[in-house]
Amino acid sequence: MIDRIKNNSKFFQLQRYWELLYVLVERNLKVRYRGSFLGVYWSLLNPLLMTGLYTAIFGSTFSSYYNNSIIDYVLAAFTGLVVIHFFSGATNQALVSLVENGVLLNKIKLPMIIFPVSMVGANVFQFCLGMLPVLVIVTLVNSRSLINLVALLIPLLSLTLVCTGIGLVVSALYVFFRDLPYFYELITFVLWMSSPVFYPADIVPPAVQKFLILNPLLPIIESIRQISISGALPDIILMAQAIITSLIILVLGWICFRSWQDQFMDLL
Amino acid sequence: MREVIRLDQVSLSRRTQEELSYDLKKTLLSLVTGQYRKPLKKLVLDNINLTVKAGEKIGIIGANGSGKSTLLKIICGILQPTSGSVRVRGEIAPLIELGAGFDPKLAVIDNIILYGVMLGFSRQEMKERARLILEFAELEDYALVPVKGLSSGMVARLGFAIATDVQPDILILDEVFAVGDESFKHKCQQRMQKFWQDHATILVVSHDLNFISNSCRKGICLEKGKLKNEGDVEEVVKFYLKSVG
Repeated sequence: MIDRIKNNSKFFQLQRYWELLYVLVERNLKVRYRGSFLGVYWSLLNPLLMTGLYTAIFGSTFSSYYNNSIIDYVLAAFTGLVVIHFFSGATNQALVSLVENGVLLNKIKLPMIIFPVSMVGANVFQFCLGMLPVLVIVTLVNSRSLINLVALLIPLLSLTLVCTGIGLVVSALYVFFRDLPYFYELITFVLWMSSPVFYPADIVPPAVQKFLILNPLLPIIESIRQISISGALPDIILMAQAIITSLIILVLGWICFRSWQDQFMDLL
Repeated sequence: MREVIRLDQVSLSRRTQEELSYDLKKTLLSLVTGQYRKPLKKLVLDNINLTVKAGEKIGIIGANGSGKSTLLKIICGILQPTSGSVRVRGEIAPLIELGAGFDPKLAVIDNIILYGVMLGFSRQEMKERARLILEFAELEDYALVPVKGLSSGMVARLGFAIATDVQPDILILDEVFAVGDESFKHKCQQRMQKFWQDHATILVVSHDLNFISNSCRKGICLEKGKLKNEGDVEEVVKFYLKSVG
């Protein structure tokens, strides 16, 4: 209903969104790594440590599922952990982003959607400096093909879109339900356990496997593994599954956010 | 004179925050036991009609909780009216509660840029203005210090310096005037006077009735979300004083 005559062109709005996103991502990163550029590499610690732990415990038992190679198990566990770790980091930070900036939203008119999106953006930036080089090396060593390297972008883009979609939903729900982090922790744990990260998908009974397909991270993990570990050319079908799933989640998340956002201000 | 703000039959109802039942556990339980009820809503603005012409300085008075700040939020576009329509022509600058938007862990200079971009400037523009803002706030030596390392007076100075370093068509003031020590207060007053002498349209909320009657020509008085009186500022202040007894 509000009608602003001046400066309302689409281009101006897009530019404003971009500038806002830029400063907010910058703020997130600066606050996180005050001064120490190397701080980004701490984000590698968790997945590397977990990979080592899983390999030590399950490596010899499960290696028969990975061409009897411990290395293949290590890489499979690592790629799975990278995805899960990124997902839980980005969505958990997005979850609190609206409520944390509630005071600000009460003072200045801002597009609310940029707060969860900027959290995902900060995590993407961190990923590009930390994990991505490792994934690139793994892919190049295993496939010796630039096609695989380029194809890797598709599942990674899907991962970003899934995180954005889920991030939008949880940040919106957190406005209404302040005990959501407790429940969301359970949900991420379920997602984590139901993704074949440290166990081979084959050991899951067929009856249960049907449900695992509901996990939106599954096609992403499988596609990344296929592209960077198998050594074969990228599987288009896996990539398509990953990107379609992620687009559906993004659109659903956006619709939820848009339809609820009129009610946010009453509770912030 | 050109009309810059127009509110037509604006009403707003909001969820009352005191219910505090925004808790997933309780909501789910109440759904199961069938005790769920729709959240209560309260009418905070009731059928407000208001037009503001370019260059007018308007003082808004009323008791606590009468909807003064809510009215400003509607005009700024932070809140959307439940019914009715709001038209605003021109750039609005809210002179917001000083320092509300600062990130304490971020350096002063980064906060200036962040804040400016949120107020609608480009990053480039803010980088250019940053030096002048620091100079006005007398914080040149603190550019790289995180905001949490500043004293509360310095934070207020910084907030004032950023928020007033704009040339808006419409300026919104919600109980913020002079801050800091005596010498800085003087600087604040000069800058505010400049706004008054320029042709900006100004809306002020304050409980300082002297300030309102000295600095505004027109006044409006709100009571429980209704616009009770509107017109010459002296008359409106008298009306308000009489109504509170």
